[in-house]
Amino acid sequence: MTTALDDSPTVPAPDQGLTAARQARGQAVLSGGVTAALGVVGVAFGLSAVFGQSWHLRIGWLLPLVGVVFDLGPLGGFFVAATGGVSIAVGIYAVGYAQREHWAAFTLVMLPLFVAAMLLVPAAGSVTTFLLAWELMAGASLVLVLSEHRREAVRSAGVFYAVMTQLGFVAILLALVVLSAAGGGDAFATISAHSGAVSAGTRTAVFLLTLMGFGSKAGLLPLHAWLPRAHPEAPSPVSALMSAAMVNMGIYGLIRIDQQILGPGPNWWGLTLMVFGALSAVFGVLQASVATDLKRLLAYSTTENMGLITLALGAAALLSSYGAHQVAAMAMTAALLLILSHAAFKTLAFLAAGSVLASTGLRDLDKLGGLARRMPGTTVMFGIAALGASGLPLGAGFVGEWLLLQSLIHSPHNNNTLLALMMPLSVGAVALTTGLGIAAMVKAFGVGFLARPRSAAAEAAAEAPVSMLAGMTLGAAACAVFAVAPVALSPVLRQVLAALPTVGGNEAGPALGGYLRLPGIPGSMSPGLIAAALVIAVLVALGLGRWGWRRRPVAAAAALWACGADSLSSKMQYTATSFAEPLQRVFDNVLQPETDVEVTHFAESQYLVEKVTYRTTLADPVERRLYTPVVRAVTTWAQWVRRAHPGSVHLYLAYGALGLLVVLVISR
Amino acid sequence: MSWIGKIGRVGRIVEPASDPPEERVAPPTGVCGSLQLRHVDAGSCNGCELEITGAFSSVYDAERFGARVVASPRHADGLIATGVVTRNMHQPLLNTLKAVPEPRVVIAVGDCACNGGVFAQGYGVVGSVADVIPVDVQVPGCPPTPQQIITALRTVTGR
Repeated sequence: MTTALDDSPTVPAPDQGLTAARQARGQAVLSGGVTAALGVVGVAFGLSAVFGQSWHLRIGWLLPLVGVVFDLGPLGGFFVAATGGVSIAVGIYAVGYAQREHWAAFTLVMLPLFVAAMLLVPAAGSVTTFLLAWELMAGASLVLVLSEHRREAVRSAGVFYAVMTQLGFVAILLALVVLSAAGGGDAFATISAHSGAVSAGTRTAVFLLTLMGFGSKAGLLPLHAWLPRAHPEAPSPVSALMSAAMVNMGIYGLIRIDQQILGPGPNWWGLTLMVFGALSAVFGVLQASVATDLKRLLAYSTTENMGLITLALGAAALLSSYGAHQVAAMAMTAALLLILSHAAFKTLAFLAAGSVLASTGLRDLDKLGGLARRMPGTTVMFGIAALGASGLPLGAGFVGEWLLLQSLIHSPHNNNTLLALMMPLSVGAVALTTGLGIAAMVKAFGVGFLARPRSAAAEAAAEAPVSMLAGMTLGAAACAVFAVAPVALSPVLRQVLAALPTVGGNEAGPALGGYLRLPGIPGSMSPGLIAAALVIAVLVALGLGRWGWRRRPVAAAAALWACGADSLSSKMQYTATSFAEPLQRVFDNVLQPETDVEVTHFAESQYLVEKVTYRTTLADPVERRLYTPVVRAVTTWAQWVRRAHPGSVHLYLAYGALGLLVVLVISR
Repeated sequence: MSWIGKIGRVGRIVEPASDPPEERVAPPTGVCGSLQLRHVDAGSCNGCELEITGAFSSVYDAERFGARVVASPRHADGLIATGVVTRNMHQPLLNTLKAVPEPRVVIAVGDCACNGGVFAQGYGVVGSVADVIPVDVQVPGCPPTPQQIITALRTVTGR
């Protein structure tokens, strides 16, 4: 762990050290407290906006010519509330984490600033304000990613993230400028009122540009490459904020611009969203299931979940354009539920991974293990998060994925070839994603936390401090509510759906009561009853077991069976690599691992093997195929451009004179 | 689908069962008619392994008399040990025996396991199986035939 205090005196005087510690604690409490307070404000404003209290604020002097306009409606309120919830948990967690990791003052200041910027994005009421808040968010997150900038990996990830997020911003900037020019105003309300007059070509251009810009922020394929780089290298509370809240802003942009303001679009918009969503989901989960870095695994899982959400959005748009409003409303509800549940379990997962990282300094699953004994609280928290991410019953993600599958299965195709083809394919993609997601999460939890420690660092792990556990408990509570009682979200979702008339908002969505009922479809499910049945089954089994124990002979103690060896060693365990090996073999064509086997023989005889070296590297194939040529082309081009500025002052003066001449000639 | 016809053409190939042996060994408590065994090769030349494989094959079919080879000593009622006990396998044999829940039965198969056979007093040999752990049933022969192994197993299962 490189800390920002590397160059401070190593042995401070005792009282001096105490004062410094107190000061550090004060700063951490202040930073975390402000972050959590901002989160509370976000939740309060967001929920009030969802329930009809629309907030409108105009600050004319802040930006010249146009001013800053905030306009918070139900949809924005939903995202503000989700971001606020994540920020509360992260703020509380950061109090302990910042002290433990000796955060620099700059990072402590940027954390609440980042949260504030994220809260402003969905609240923006005009193009200019939106772009301002968006850029503030991107800049703050970039600074936070770079907070451990002394490590080379962090700097490289920072450059990658900076370039991708700025390219995304350029796409959004172009799209929104074109949109506001065509829509006749800067305010979203004005554009929305005139959106009918926007020509088809402009709409297509805006859709494609926003899909690129917001898609890169949401981590959709093939613009996902910054996620698995930036998320592992950022400090864990920042990873949690980025992965659980910031990527949602991409989804917000897609819904707000393309569905609420411009929509309803032609049916190929929905189709495009579905294709990109399905591809991202399958690719993300595949990479997650073979990843050995815990935080990289979680980052790929974010791509997977954003893919599922985009798939649901696309399905809603497509179904709605064919008039199946009821099922479209169901798909939209699934998308909203998935956004919330992903925010909850991904916050929790990244915070738990942060506890592990802070305690052991390890992210490599092949070196972890044995944390269940040493960090029981963190292990339980990660378990809840992993259950949520795997989309199984009693996990946070289950209800959303169930609804998504139901809406895809029950979509009426009315002899429409496109729907009849697209929906079963999507069902397949979602099913494959869920199945592989379970494998990825079983690996992360089983290999990372259970069994025996695989390294000395993992053996020396200790439980996280109280504030970190408290932050995680908040996330776990949210996961539990989403898993068992989604009825609590029912009023919120109804209000948000009503604000989305283009995706069947006028229709009643699925009823999220104690029983989940789907209107017009014979399907119902009760997550609460499933949980109750499980609890009762466990209690009955325990009771029967206790009853049977009295008749049993005395148990004999014996050493663990180690296949005849004297004792078990951690080398006998599954590692993350070996667990994923069959999957890697099955998906060999997609993952394209580079395997290298090197056999060294003894000098005396070629029949005796001295050692065998086996090395396999799993580079992201999309990155290798798509990004490497682009980067190479840009580098070549940059070398060309470089020749034009060799450092000669005379040449630069000549450029200036030439430029002036051109301007004079044109404006003659 | 030619394999379905083949099943009919080949018919039963299993050897007819002889009468159960007169002599009986007291089976481990709780075992009646079914015996789960873990096999340990303590240093065998693999001749006995081939015959044991034969005994559990479809021709001799030891499983119809209740004996079964299992993968873990934790699932077993006893051990089948073959070969002389070599120095390298001495401790693993003891560990495996300890891992079998009590009460248990130990069956030594082959001359080497019974008395060291041709390898007795070799430089890498600790002794026969009976020198190292208590043995309940001995099956002599180098190697014993599958029929002999099955007869020995039936003295324990009683079927």
